[in-house]
Amino acid sequence: MAVKEFEKPELKEYSDVPLLEKKATAHLAPFKSKEEFQSSLGYPGELVDNWQDAALDKMGDLLKKYRSLRVYLDSCIQCGACTDKCHYYLGTKDPSNMPVGRQNLLRSVYRRYFTLPGKYFPKLVGAVDLTKEVLDDWYSYYHQCSQCRRCAVFCPMGIDTAEISMAAREIMDSVGVGQKYCNEIIGKVHKIGNNLGLPEPALADTLEGLEEDVKDETDIDVKYPLDQKDSDILLVTPSADFFAEPHVDGLIGYGKVFHQAGLSWTLSSHASEAANFGMFIGSYANMRKLAMRIREAALDLNVKRIVFGECGHAWRVAYSFLNTLAGPFDFLDPKYPVPQHICEVTYDLIQKNVLQFDKSANDDMVVTYHDSCNVARASNMGDVIGGQFTIPRDIIKATTNHFYDMDESTIKEKTFCCGGGGGLLTDDLMELRMKGALPRMEALKRVVDDYGVTHMAAICAICKSQFSKALGYYGFEIDQIISLHQLVGNALIMNKKEL
Amino acid sequence: MSLVTIIYGSLFYFATLILFAGIAYRIYEYATIPAPLKIPTPPAPKTKRGVAVRLFREVVFFESLFHSAKWTWLFGWLFHFALLLAFFRHLRYATDPVWFWVSWEIVQAAGHYAAYMMLLGLIGLLVRRIFVDRVRHISAPSDYLILILIIGIALSGLMMKWYPTDIFALKQFIIGLIYFSWSELPSDFMLLLHLGLVLLLMIIFPYSKLLHAPGLFFSPTRNQTDTARDSRHIADWARKLES
Amino acid sequence: MPIEVNGKSLEVDEEGYLSNLNDWEKDVAEIMAKEDGIDLGDDHWEIINFLREYYEEYQIAPAVRVLTKAVGKKLGKDKGNSKYLYELFPYGPGKQACKFAGLPKPTGCV
Repeated sequence: MAVKEFEKPELKEYSDVPLLEKKATAHLAPFKSKEEFQSSLGYPGELVDNWQDAALDKMGDLLKKYRSLRVYLDSCIQCGACTDKCHYYLGTKDPSNMPVGRQNLLRSVYRRYFTLPGKYFPKLVGAVDLTKEVLDDWYSYYHQCSQCRRCAVFCPMGIDTAEISMAAREIMDSVGVGQKYCNEIIGKVHKIGNNLGLPEPALADTLEGLEEDVKDETDIDVKYPLDQKDSDILLVTPSADFFAEPHVDGLIGYGKVFHQAGLSWTLSSHASEAANFGMFIGSYANMRKLAMRIREAALDLNVKRIVFGECGHAWRVAYSFLNTLAGPFDFLDPKYPVPQHICEVTYDLIQKNVLQFDKSANDDMVVTYHDSCNVARASNMGDVIGGQFTIPRDIIKATTNHFYDMDESTIKEKTFCCGGGGGLLTDDLMELRMKGALPRMEALKRVVDDYGVTHMAAICAICKSQFSKALGYYGFEIDQIISLHQLVGNALIMNKKEL
Repeated sequence: MSLVTIIYGSLFYFATLILFAGIAYRIYEYATIPAPLKIPTPPAPKTKRGVAVRLFREVVFFESLFHSAKWTWLFGWLFHFALLLAFFRHLRYATDPVWFWVSWEIVQAAGHYAAYMMLLGLIGLLVRRIFVDRVRHISAPSDYLILILIIGIALSGLMMKWYPTDIFALKQFIIGLIYFSWSELPSDFMLLLHLGLVLLLMIIFPYSKLLHAPGLFFSPTRNQTDTARDSRHIADWARKLES
Repeated sequence: MPIEVNGKSLEVDEEGYLSNLNDWEKDVAEIMAKEDGIDLGDDHWEIINFLREYYEEYQIAPAVRVLTKAVGKKLGKDKGNSKYLYELFPYGPGKQACKFAGLPKPTGCV
């Protein structure tokens, strides 16, 4: 089980931009997906014989379906503004982890086969043939991108490497080269309903256990209902919330909020997963199939609203794509946006004075907040520009006495990815994950040193799991990462009214 | 009619056709490829008007670049702004009678000094490309050559201050091309060099990274409104999956 | 890359998890633990046995909280926390203990 040894990056007082080291992480590539996982997603089980033609056909197909891909492959001026913006470059020094370096792996093939100068003067414009070595580089480096879009914010043309890395993964899947972690998980959701493969009886048992725990702690009967028809709210949350620490403390917090506000809500065993890894592999069809489970559950349970729990890319898919993929949601209550984030619900209840807090319950913590990349750069909350930054912070400030932000260049739209997003939260990429966490860990260290910060709150299951590892690796305590709704749950003043 | 005139006259038509037809075709392509998902980056505007403001700030001030790389922004912006000023100055060769504002002293003077500004910007970009290891790593030969080409255009244009040509004849040549009534092009070396490099730039435009000019307007991260929850955004090919 | 247990060659996946749940026997856990540098004592076996029982009933490994609670009930409150479990299984109770118990690796954002 031991992870192969690798050089540990040093946490510096001020982050600097490293000199590049070519092919520093070329050896990193996640396990490939086996035939059983590939075929359940509609992909070939192994590299097909005519893979070059098939890959180029697929690229041509995607170039006609995604304006982003076409415009972004054409428009890069190779100015280098993005080169020091990716956490994986900063952590690994590998130039193929510079956003433009990563894009160029696909762009050079695009130029060779789809542009005039690339066809006739390949050397001049840096165009290359699609060889097995190129395919291997694609597999390595498009699985070293967490699709966090930090580069897209800084690019003068708005080029989003995530769009290119998603397309590359879709091309690779279509010729039979898939990633085990993502594709096994997507298969589990298609079959069982969540990333874990947690069946309904186990989920019911887990939730029952939670009810007991909360009862022991508060002496109040907070319910964690499953498949309750005609509830007002369907809560869709990452299955990690049922399974892992500190995720489950967030789930406990959501339940307390609903209870205290007197809202009727339910979880669904059919849509027991908020995450949608279909996005990570750039597959519209798989993403849609996963999203449809949520629509089906909402119809089946006859709910009026859909609320999402703390999960970063899930909120991206929910906020930005759900209406596209599985809409229209005209059968839900038009008074509420579809879907809503749990933070929006909690924030509204705070504004309406429905929730009261005893902030001193969190006095053992000095808190900072990690903006999860997909929430920060691919979604919104509260329908005001920047709501995705202010609403979580306002909730933290309402529930704690001690809050400090990290350095301005590492938060909000400039936030650093945790290092485990985009389908990379797998043990076989541990070296990449730990190196990619470096910029965030450095920023955290500064507020720990300067303000005595003890805990970092997040609203993403991947961030929470990734930081549980990275914090330990960089000499912090693994329980310094917490769920935002853990703070809410701790400080919420509960009374014994019954539903 | 001299051979030089025939060659340059024909090349002007050819290059103009490639430039305008090429860019028009690219714009047609970009406009007709669907953007199936909402992917604006923050701060994403809620309205089309907000998108217009955002694009204006990107195009005029290079706002994102300003936040990401100050030197590149400075050199890049100087170059592009100088290019615009130089373009205004050159309109006097292509308008007859000369548009009133083009003949203003300030426009002409600014256009002249813009050449120095342009060179400063371009050389700054070139130096950065050569000496910053990350930028050097991503540079293909064409990245250097395009910079050198534009430096060549700026330099040869500026040199005409010292190697003057018959600008009345030049103007007649240009106007003659526009109205299909050709007249002789002065065959001074510096002029021919300057014009030749411009023609080359026009020809490579639609086949190179110079496509960033139309591309920016079609960049979904910058030109989309943040309205995914309010109204359903769906591409035709995606709708077909629903039946 | 199969592992050898009592003369039998058992199929495991890339990360060393048993491919076939039914191949498991006590020596499998012993051999896997030895590879990871762990000597299995009674404390470890309490956890491994619980995992296997839970899996038998629910076809999935228990959530961390379910596990800690069960351990706390059985072995006393001071042991009902993930710190105790991490002491036994440094790589994480969910993953390392599952491997020794012959269960598939928990997947997802965990």
